[in-house]
Amino acid sequence: MTYFLLKMTATLCATLLRSQGWLPLIQSVRHGSKAVTRHKKPVHILKQKLLAVTQYIPPGRAVAPGAYPSKIKHVLEDNGFTLLLKKDLKKVFEECKMIAVVQKNGSSAEEMVVLKHRLFKHGIRVKFFPNQVTRSFLSDSVYCNMAPLFIGPTVLFVSKEPKVKEMLSALKASPQMTLLGACIDNTLLSAQGIVGYSKLPSVTVIQGELVSGLTMLTSCTASMLQRHPAHLSALLQQYIKQQSLGDGVEAAPKAEEAT
Amino acid sequence: MAAPSKATVLLKAVKKITVQFCPFESNVRSTREFLALVGSEKARSTNMNCEVIPVVKHDKSEPVVDVTYVDGERLVMKGGKLTCLEMLSAFQSRCSDKDPQTKAGANK
Repeated sequence: MTYFLLKMTATLCATLLRSQGWLPLIQSVRHGSKAVTRHKKPVHILKQKLLAVTQYIPPGRAVAPGAYPSKIKHVLEDNGFTLLLKKDLKKVFEECKMIAVVQKNGSSAEEMVVLKHRLFKHGIRVKFFPNQVTRSFLSDSVYCNMAPLFIGPTVLFVSKEPKVKEMLSALKASPQMTLLGACIDNTLLSAQGIVGYSKLPSVTVIQGELVSGLTMLTSCTASMLQRHPAHLSALLQQYIKQQSLGDGVEAAPKAEEAT
Repeated sequence: MAAPSKATVLLKAVKKITVQFCPFESNVRSTREFLALVGSEKARSTNMNCEVIPVVKHDKSEPVVDVTYVDGERLVMKGGKLTCLEMLSAFQSRCSDKDPQTKAGANK
């Protein structure tokens, strides 16, 4: 009630006091529209202009963002899962003699199951590791030259025994699997190298061929020695004659050159 | 490199795609990704007659994608300096050019 009367006197005396240079008696603070609203209150045009004029313009870059490499090397630590995968990879590389890298372009789940079954019959297992983990592992280990193979959707075929022929025949049946390369017996092979490796005969066959080649000469000598001694002496005399004849022929041209 | 989120790869007008690369080179990433996209199940299901043939070489040659269309036209893309998206957009634009023609011809 008193507040209402005070407001009345304020409005009535407002013009009187203002003309004489007095400040108003009552200044109502909480009146009119609110400051804190639920919607976004429209900003007054003068305030808008002020904000637009005084907007922050950051100083331009002296260097383009990708121009220089960053001084601080951000080394991310491996999380637990990555470490587990790396241990698994290490075990795989230690145990298996043959590790083939194959790119799979959209084979369905059934085809994968069929292929896995076919390969498992020959003892080849199909392993899958994330590319990032494999690359970081390979860069630390000896097999760093295999790193460029691991791009895109790749699968590893690992086996303890290098069974290349069976793997190639299984891959021929599924056309969307592309053989990129393999590490067989710690030797990095390309696709053609793998095909050539599959065509090689087995180790025993090669050993047999080598032995037979070496023993050919010695068997000749042995058979010659086993003959009658008169025959042997005649052969040796003939050999000495031929040698001396050959020496004489060589000495004659040398004498001609000197003169 | 994100796969294009547009429509699937349509191979209706394509007869054969030969993708040739050397995996030990450093510029084969885009070609391999293109091969993965084109050889996927969805893409191949649009046209079962189309053959996707990857050729793996080891002679430091440039990666090449050779597309043979049904009407005999050939598109050769040298993927050494191209990105996967560029190759795919070029390929798809030509496929869609040929596709509406055949569809319009069939409708008429």
